[in-house]
This record gives sequence, structure tokens and C-alpha cells, in this order.
Amino acid sequence: MESIAKEQFQPAIQQAHKDAILRPSLSYWQDAWRRLKKNKLAMIALVVLIIIAALAIIVPLVSGYDYKTQDTKSINLRPSAAHYFGTDDFGRDLWTRIWWGARISLTIGIVAAVMDLVIGVLYGGISAYFGGRVDSIMQRFIEVIYSVPYLLLAILLLMVLGPGMKSIIFAYAITGWVSMARLVRGQLLVLKEQEFVLAARALGAKPFRIILKHLIPNALGVIVVQITFVVPAAIFAEAFLSFIGLGIRPPLASLGNLLSDGAKVMQFHPHRLIFPTVVFSLILLSFNLLGDGLRDALDPKMRK
Amino acid sequence: MLKYTLRRFFYMLVTLWVIITLTFFLMKLLPGNPFGESAAKLTPENLQILREQYGLDKPVWQQYLKYMGNVLQGDLGISYQYPTRSVVSVIQHSFKASLELGLESLIFAIVIGLALGTYAALRHNKAGDYTAMLIAIVGISVPSFVIGPLLSYFVGVKWGILPPGLWTGPEHRVLPALALSFGTIAILARMMRASMLDVANQDYIKTAKSKGLTSGAIINSHMLRNAILPVITILGPIAVNVVTGTLVVEIIFAVPGLGSQFVSSIVSNDYTMITGLTLFYAAILIIVLFITDIAYGLVDPRIRLGKGR
Amino acid sequence: MSAPLLEVNNLKVSFKMFAGEVQAVRGVSFTLDKGEVLAIVGESGCGKSVTAQTIMRLTPTPPSFIKDGSIIFDGKTDVTKLSEKQMMKIRGQEMGMIFQDPMTSLNPTMTVGAQIAEGIRKHEKLSKSAAMRRAVELLTLVGISNPGERINQYPHEMSGGMRQRVMIAIALACHPKLLIADEPTTALDVTIQAQIMDVMRDIQEKTGTAIILITHDLGVVAEMAQRVIVMYAGKVVEQGDLNDIFYKSQHPYTWGLLSSVPRLDSDKKAALASIPGTPPDLFAPPKGCAFAARCPYAMKICQEQDPEHLPVSGPTHTAACWLMHPDAPKVERPVAAGGGVTHV
Repeated sequence: MESIAKEQFQPAIQQAHKDAILRPSLSYWQDAWRRLKKNKLAMIALVVLIIIAALAIIVPLVSGYDYKTQDTKSINLRPSAAHYFGTDDFGRDLWTRIWWGARISLTIGIVAAVMDLVIGVLYGGISAYFGGRVDSIMQRFIEVIYSVPYLLLAILLLMVLGPGMKSIIFAYAITGWVSMARLVRGQLLVLKEQEFVLAARALGAKPFRIILKHLIPNALGVIVVQITFVVPAAIFAEAFLSFIGLGIRPPLASLGNLLSDGAKVMQFHPHRLIFPTVVFSLILLSFNLLGDGLRDALDPKMRK
Repeated sequence: MLKYTLRRFFYMLVTLWVIITLTFFLMKLLPGNPFGESAAKLTPENLQILREQYGLDKPVWQQYLKYMGNVLQGDLGISYQYPTRSVVSVIQHSFKASLELGLESLIFAIVIGLALGTYAALRHNKAGDYTAMLIAIVGISVPSFVIGPLLSYFVGVKWGILPPGLWTGPEHRVLPALALSFGTIAILARMMRASMLDVANQDYIKTAKSKGLTSGAIINSHMLRNAILPVITILGPIAVNVVTGTLVVEIIFAVPGLGSQFVSSIVSNDYTMITGLTLFYAAILIIVLFITDIAYGLVDPRIRLGKGR
Repeated sequence: MSAPLLEVNNLKVSFKMFAGEVQAVRGVSFTLDKGEVLAIVGESGCGKSVTAQTIMRLTPTPPSFIKDGSIIFDGKTDVTKLSEKQMMKIRGQEMGMIFQDPMTSLNPTMTVGAQIAEGIRKHEKLSKSAAMRRAVELLTLVGISNPGERINQYPHEMSGGMRQRVMIAIALACHPKLLIADEPTTALDVTIQAQIMDVMRDIQEKTGTAIILITHDLGVVAEMAQRVIVMYAGKVVEQGDLNDIFYKSQHPYTWGLLSSVPRLDSDKKAALASIPGTPPDLFAPPKGCAFAARCPYAMKICQEQDPEHLPVSGPTHTAACWLMHPDAPKVERPVAAGGGVTHV
């Protein structure tokens, strides 16, 4: 063995921080954001959504056309410098109508998601928190609602309420919250039994504090992910209802009735189907990709 | 298992009752006269006779009981559109095409979807996985009423490979069934992939590996069965998707089924037809949900051998 | 003396993570004779499970990979060089493994009989009924009553202890030369633990299979093992016969482990001894001795340079500690160490 200097065998001065943490420490959301940023598809989806939302807000204001003014001289025109996406059979500017439609579809999606969130989180939270008999009664009710096919119920409701944006949102909200409620309840039930909640309770934390500080933040990831799937589902529902003649009524444009009209004349005026299809699919695709990315990013099991 | 089945059966009945009740009261709320446009031509006396004939002069609860009774006896009323035809006869006439379309597309979806999902999971994080999942997510994002016209136009009209519509022979069924199954394929593929990946991380897969089994044997006897279990739970909702999807696909491909009847009755405000068909659809979907629930119990020994859920 | 059954040389296993490379095993060497019971002890995360799973090549690749070293099995095959196909012949046939949690290591949708028979049919080309008969014999061997009925049951119909017996039966199905038991009793109740250890000991006597027993329970070690390896932060810090480790240990980490075992005759008011601090993060292992930061006897050299293994008492007992250097101050072995566990 090589010789080693004697003074090397003096007692060492121990560093103060025995448990120094060598990895960079990131909070849950920082970590999630970092992982989301790594997911190229999800980031592209986010950018696309921002662009679409911006266009939906700005274009109807600046395009120089509105969604309803008819122009019998320029019917079914192909795309041109005057009409980027061409015109429809009433000579209305499709570029304006599509972004109007996107505006309406996005509004429906977002309002539906908010209503879903409020009703679902409240219902699921109450059910999980009180447990016992309250929970089992609330769950029986959910089981019944869950088996009612929502599009059929929406059709019936729309017959009564009459077509229109408010009716669509209402019909969606009345049936759509169930998944959210089940999800929140399931998540809270698991969390409620976990050691850190028991620890907090043992330390004397009040129920309200436990819900606010421990349960909600831990369930938030799942809720956020669910919302990114509710929005496209509501947008889809609008398009579906418009397609069977119960959605947004002309002359107001929605992506649903633009698609429906476009499909009818596809053979002669393909531009009337292609443009709404591209915008509609981009919105749905982006929400789905973003939702997938968020789910991966927010899943604590994926943390490395 | 028996207790579980009985409980599910009870729920099915409750749900059906809720839907019938809901339909009845929603119809009560409908704007306008129950006898439609033709009522304007009737004298008040005749109208009164009609009201008595339909029991509309009785209190609401009696009307409700009568309605329930009729529905239970399979009497869903007379169409406004075709005053000579009852809703039930319309169902009898058009249901076959819809059922064929639905079943064919379900089979397409299950076979293609599960295969695609399994393939993606086995190629996890490789090019094959990304490709399969990109196809799947496009499938989810592009609804059947967009895929449908595109298929009909390109494959049917432009290239002339398959007939673009109608329902007269097996070759007419491929495009509608495909258009209808597109979204379902995507949902099943994604679910199957996630489920396979989850199972792959289970300890018992490590046990199987430690026995020296080939990866083929591990996939066959350990992964697939366990991975399919959770997928079965969504077959119910999937069937719901397919059935509601028939509404639009039948119109696009001119399939003479219930869906196109339904939509045309919506367009012409044929209320009895709409309520009757809604009830029929709802009943089918609820029965399908019940069956998939029981099927799930049958394949999972943890539920089959007692314990309930 | 014949060649050892297993010879692990300078094994290094790492995991590729987002943040970089985690060096889970950093140069582990040991040998195992035929029919011998070797215990690997250490805290959670010291690399003992990774070492064991690498012997059967069960760690998922990626993210894990064998960086260096060899694992010579039965004097001829280097396990680290085998293809996955060659590995399949060895797994189950030559080596069997028992995992920590019997609740999750059996397939919930398959009868236990089928799960036992599966490996037999793969390796010995038996008919289904012959394999099932063998499964019944195996269940009898591991002490399950009514084996004829039990083979048709599903795992959820059995208790944890019984499932672990089934796991042992699966591992033993083809009479392997080596059985690796990765914390086989950790997830079980104390009374069941003793039963499972009895089964393991019984089987070792009957079949003469060599066992690598991974545990952090020194009581289990004292009951079964002939030799002990103490691992810390991905390295072996001390190894020797059971008596060497329990009564003549030289490494402060071994002392710490031994003195943290509760004793019946100790002062009840005295706090249970523990080793302060936590193991280093193997994402960036320290330059010198990995234990230096927690070692009460740490010297300057310990922080600078990693100690090599030096023989202690006899050829098989070695320890890696600078305290054994002739220039180091003499340190008395704490009295508590070694007396903590008595043979049962």
C-alpha cells in the first residue's frame, strides 16, 4: 500500500450538513412544468391553442366582414386575398365565420368546463368528506345519472329549451359533471386515508385546513387533467348537436354547423369542409395532446 | 357475484324508470300544443274529445301512470310525421340496419383498437409507439362526422374503391362501420396501451420473468388478460359512443336505420317519435352497460368469487 | 475445493435518470459456494436488491445497465454477457427468486397451481397434469395443507403468509441451484415471518440449494446465514462468517447496524441506538468513504480516499475501513455491538 501522511489520520471535521441534498429541489408544480416543457407535442399543442384563441378573439373584430351579412354577388367563392377561406352559399366570409365559430366553440368548452368543475368538485368533495350514509346516497344518485346517455338527454333538453348556446351549455353541464365528481371523490378518498393526512390530523389540524392544504392541492393535478378533457368533449357535443340540427342556429356560426354545412356541399365546394375541419380538429387535437402531457407531467409516479 | 348481479340489475331498472319519468315531464314542458299544427283546424268541442281520448283532461299523475303503463306494454305512441305508423313499427323496421352497423363497427374497434394499443405498449417509447399513439389521438380529435364525409368522398366517389353510401350489401357496410369505429379505435388503443404499461410494471410480471418464461409467454398468459380487465369497464361507455355515433354516420352514408329516422324526426319536430326513440336508445344503452358490468365480474376472479365491489 | 456457485466481480450497476446517472451498485465482489446461505444486509437503498436482481438480470433495462464487472455462475457462464434468450433458460431452472411483497408478486387472474406449473412446463417439458402433480408436491413441501384444493385457488383467496409459501414453491419448482430471497419476510406479520423462515430453512436442509438472503433484519440473518455481506451506498463494507460479523466486526457501519438491534437485556429507558443521518445520494457519491459523513470515527483520509478491503480475522473476513490502517488511532469496538442478536 502506498504510504499515507500521518496527519491524514487526524479526526475529520464533519461538515455541518450531514444530510445535504445534492439534487436540485423542485416544487410539485415546478417539477410538473419542467416535465411538460420537455414534452414537445404538449408544448406545440399549448402554442397552437394560444394562437387559435387569439385568432378567435381578434379576427372577427378586424376582418372587415361580419358573420351574417350576405352578399349574393360572391357565393361559394374559393379562397382569395379578399376572402382567405372563401365564402359560403350566402356569400358570407368563411374566414370570419370560422373564427366566430371557434370563439363560440371555445366559449362553450370553457364555460362547460367551469360548470363541470364547480358542480363536480363540490359534489365529489362533499361526498368524500362526509363519507358514510351521505356518501352512499350521493353515490347511488351518481350511478343512475352516469348510466343516462348524456347526448340523448341533451337532445331532449334542447327540444324543450330550444336550440342555442345557453341550452347547449346547460344540457352539457347537467350531465357532464358526473365524471368529475367521481374522479374527485375517488382521489379524495385515497388521499384521506394516506399517512400525511393522518399525520396532519394527529398534529391537530382542523378539517378545513386539511381539505385546503392537503387534500385539494394533491387532487388538483387530476382535476386539471380532467378539465383539459372536458373542454374538447363539450366542443364535440356542440358540433354533434349542430350536426343533427339542434345546435347553434344560423346565421350565427359555430364550428359544428360550419362542419355540417360543409359536409353537405363537400363534393362541389371542398373548401367549405376543409377549413372548419382543420380548425376544429386542431382545437380538439391540441386539447387532447395538452391533456396527455399534463397527465404525464402531473403524475407523481412519473417523477424522477 | 349473484348479489352483485342483482344489485346492478336493480340499478338498471331504476335508471330506466328515471329516464321514462324524465322523458314524460320534459315532454309536458314542451312548448306548443300536443296535437301540433293540426289542432288549429279543430273546433273546441273536437279538441275536448281528443283531449279526453288521450287522457289529457286528467291530473298529471294519472297521465304519468298511464304513460308508464303504455311504455311498459311496449306502446311508444303514434308518429306525427307518418300518422299511420306507430313508433314501435318504425323501430321494428329500421333497427336491423342500425344494429348491424353498430355491431360491425364495435368489432372493428375492438380488434383494431386492442391490437394497436398492445403494439404501442410493447414498443414503449419507440417510434412504433409514437406513431400508433399519434394515429390514436388524431382518431379522437377528428369526429366521425368529419371522417365520414371524407371517406365517402375520397374512397367512395373519387377513387371508387367502395360504394359511398346506402346499405344494400356487405361492401356497402365497410365505410360507414369504419367511419363510426374510428374514434372508438383510438379510445380503446390508448386505454389498452396505458393498461399494458401499468401491468408491465407489476411485481407479478417480474415473478413471471424470474420463472424464465419467454416474453411471448409473459405477454400471453400474464399481461394481456390483466390488461384487458380495466378496458372491459369502458366497453359500456364505448357502446354508448358507437350508438350515438350511428345518428350522424347513418345520415352521411344514407343508411336506412334508426339514427336517420331520429334525426329526421328532430328536424320535423315529431315529438312522439323523438321521445319514443330516445327511450329505446336509452334502454339499449343501459342494458349494454349492465351486460358489460356483469362481463367484467365474470372475467375478474376477485369479483366473480364473492367480495362484491 | 470445487469452484464457487457464484462469483461476482467488481459489479457496477447504474440507472439512467433524467438528472443523470444514479450509481446504485459501485463495485461489488463476493462469492457463494454451493449449498451456502449468504445474507446481504444494509439499509434501504444500499444496492442490495439491485445486486440480487442483476444476478438474475431482472432490473429493467433501460433505465438500468451493467456498467462493469462480471457474474460467473456455476464456474462457467458470465451472466452479464448472456443474451435475453440464454437468460430465460437459466431463470427458473438454475436460479429462482422470491420477492418482498407476496400480495403483489402473484398474478391475480391465474390460479396458483397454474402459476407454479408454468415454470415447470417451460423448463422440463412436462404434460399439464404432470406439472400440476408437481405443483401439489411443491405446495406440500412448503407446508400448505390441502394442496390438491389450493392449486385451484386464486391468490386473493390466500393469506399473505400462504402466498409467500406459494412464491417459494414457484422459485423452487425446477430445483434451482440458487435461490435469491429479496426481503422475503419484510411485508409479513412477525409470527408469519418466523413461519416463512422455518420453511426456508427446512427447504435449504432438504434440497441443499444455495440461498442469497437479502434483508435488513439481523435476526433473520442470525437464524439462517452462514456468511454475511454488509453493504453501504452501493459497496460492500464488510464481509465474513456469521460469527465474524456478529462478534469480530471491524467496520463502524456494521457496529452501527448491530447496536441498533433492540435487546431484551438492555436498559428499557435507554433510547434505541441509531445511526445518525441518511445514506449519501448515489446520484453524486462522495469522493472518499461513503460512510464518512455519518461515521463517529471519521478521519481526514476518510473524506479523501475510499478505503480498500483488508483482511481482518482469517481469509474470508474483510472490511473496508481506514481504521484498520496501522497509522490509524486504535478504536475500541463498542460493547453493544455483536451482543445484540443471539442465536435462537
